[in-house]
Amino acid sequence: MAEPLIEVDGLTVTFPSEHGHILRAVDDVTLQIAEGEVLGLVGESGCGKTTIAKCLAGRVVPSAGHVRFDGRELSVRRTTEDRRAIQIVFQDPYSSLNPRLSVRHVLGELLRVHRLVPQDEIEARLRELMGLVGLPKGALDGLPSQFSGGQRQRIAIARALTVEPRVILADEPVSALDVSVQATILRLFEDLRSRLGLTVVFISHNLAVVRHLSDRVAVMYLGRIVEQGDREAVFSDPRHPYTRALLAAAPRLHQVELVRSVVKGEPPSPINVPAGCSFHPRCPRAEDKCTRDRPALEPVGGCPAHLTACHFRDETSAEQAP
Amino acid sequence: MTPLLEVEGLVVEMRRHRAVFRAVDGVSFALERGGALAIVGESGCGKSITLRAIMGLLPNRGRLRSGRVIVDGTTLPADARGRGRGHHQRRRMSIVFQDALSALNPVATVGNQIAEAPRYVLGLGRRAARARAIELLGLVGIPDPDRRYHAYPHELSGGTRQRVMIAIALSSDPAILLCDEPTTALDVTIQTQILALLAELRSERGLSLVFVTHDLGVVSQVAEAVAVMYTGRFVETGPTAEVLAAPRHPYTRGLLAAALDVDSPEHEPVAIPGSLPDPLRLAGGCSFQPRCEFATGQCLTTDVRLQLVGPGHAAACLHSDVLAACQAAGHHG
Repeated sequence: MAEPLIEVDGLTVTFPSEHGHILRAVDDVTLQIAEGEVLGLVGESGCGKTTIAKCLAGRVVPSAGHVRFDGRELSVRRTTEDRRAIQIVFQDPYSSLNPRLSVRHVLGELLRVHRLVPQDEIEARLRELMGLVGLPKGALDGLPSQFSGGQRQRIAIARALTVEPRVILADEPVSALDVSVQATILRLFEDLRSRLGLTVVFISHNLAVVRHLSDRVAVMYLGRIVEQGDREAVFSDPRHPYTRALLAAAPRLHQVELVRSVVKGEPPSPINVPAGCSFHPRCPRAEDKCTRDRPALEPVGGCPAHLTACHFRDETSAEQAP
Repeated sequence: MTPLLEVEGLVVEMRRHRAVFRAVDGVSFALERGGALAIVGESGCGKSITLRAIMGLLPNRGRLRSGRVIVDGTTLPADARGRGRGHHQRRRMSIVFQDALSALNPVATVGNQIAEAPRYVLGLGRRAARARAIELLGLVGIPDPDRRYHAYPHELSGGTRQRVMIAIALSSDPAILLCDEPTTALDVTIQTQILALLAELRSERGLSLVFVTHDLGVVSQVAEAVAVMYTGRFVETGPTAEVLAAPRHPYTRGLLAAALDVDSPEHEPVAIPGSLPDPLRLAGGCSFQPRCEFATGQCLTTDVRLQLVGPGHAAACLHSDVLAACQAAGHHG
């Protein structure tokens, strides 16, 4: 991998919880993201994927660890340039846009505040942005309520692009959209990445979407990355039992039989993380040592492009089948 | 043998501002004892309203214009709040909603909420109702039911809340379970568990299921029959495997082409052009015609209803034979 654009090192985020407990949303996460790549961050609700994105964007202050961007350490108080460089697109385009402001107002304000283009070129730039996200110029004068879900998400993406970011953090950007329009938004991300060379962190619980779009994938469970690697390595040869369970449970168009649920129970509370491997209470492969020793995120078969945090990472799924 | 549930020509009108539109426009189907039907469609297609109309729980701005719901040969009154003839047949049906947190009473323990129907509908005593509630908590797979009886909804996880919803639905001993996207708000590993529970209830208690979802991926897991809904109508119905493998309505075909599948990352999803029409401005002819690649002039004027295209397989499209030909020639998506 070339020099990474973003380096996350030992990132930990804790929140105070009821009765003096501490909630570990993100627990010692180390991650590199190369310039121009799409990193898929997968996991179920509450696993910490959104918190990581918020840390990268500077919206949440980490309790420990560092975030380096373009070779520099990002401090808690970011410069305007650093904030511009990393932008978020949220899940729900119905609540992330101000209903009282026209598209022109929102985007125009950004251009003026950040002095991105001279006053007389603002209109041209606004039109260019609309073109970039595949909306007609007339959309500039609309209010969010006049647009469909897919169009609103395009507006939200245009807003992120207005400040010329280098990284887009897309937090479940197609989850609130109907299937028939999801494809157009995914296409838009592919398109933006190839045209603008954007780096994308794509957060989703939907494995099909992540497999489609990502170059590399990181799977999270209870605040930790349990498996990480090139897309095909992770999807065609998953080594963590949790990744396997997620894959088995993913909805499929042509499934004849009911999926037998592979994992028992529900994720434990991040306030009270199990000792040892945090997945062991639900894991079909767990042994005694899993309740004591927490496995580190290490290469599978010595391959640095595929890391797994499991004591049995070198067993293939055939070997693990009962 | 008469089917357990028959829905005939259901038409629901909804008010929006001053205007009235048809949210459900002539939906009919029959469900055998122990059978399951999945109704699939995108937001606003009328799938949830269909379920509510069957249950007699239409919102205030909705009205059942025509159509009948027949359970075991008895026609139900249009409104569940009524007390007319056939009212007791309504108890043969229960509904499970998508958002368990807002469907549950936040200030009552889940045990009391489950015990309510056994006590006041089935007429059990206090103790018997409580025992029944604990039994149901166990049945839906909640560990430690004695203790969980006293829990409040906010103390439970999303998956457990949905199990409580199912327990409440089962508490009146229904023959039919109407499910409105019961797993949409849940994580996939929990979704699998809930779907397995529903399958178990079907096979062990002979429960019939009407399952509304927007996710084509879960359809084949829950039901052997599927109905695809668009602008208030069923546009294609048939055996699930056949409809998904060889769709005969362009909308079904479009949905399949737009969907992503974990197993085929090379499949490039293709969106359906255009967007859902405004239900207040539906023109005559086929409502999918403006977005349809197969549309011809005829589609503008002909009001197509479901027509059989194979055994148990129907599509509301003038060009369903063209789709079959495309399928045969191997032009997918």
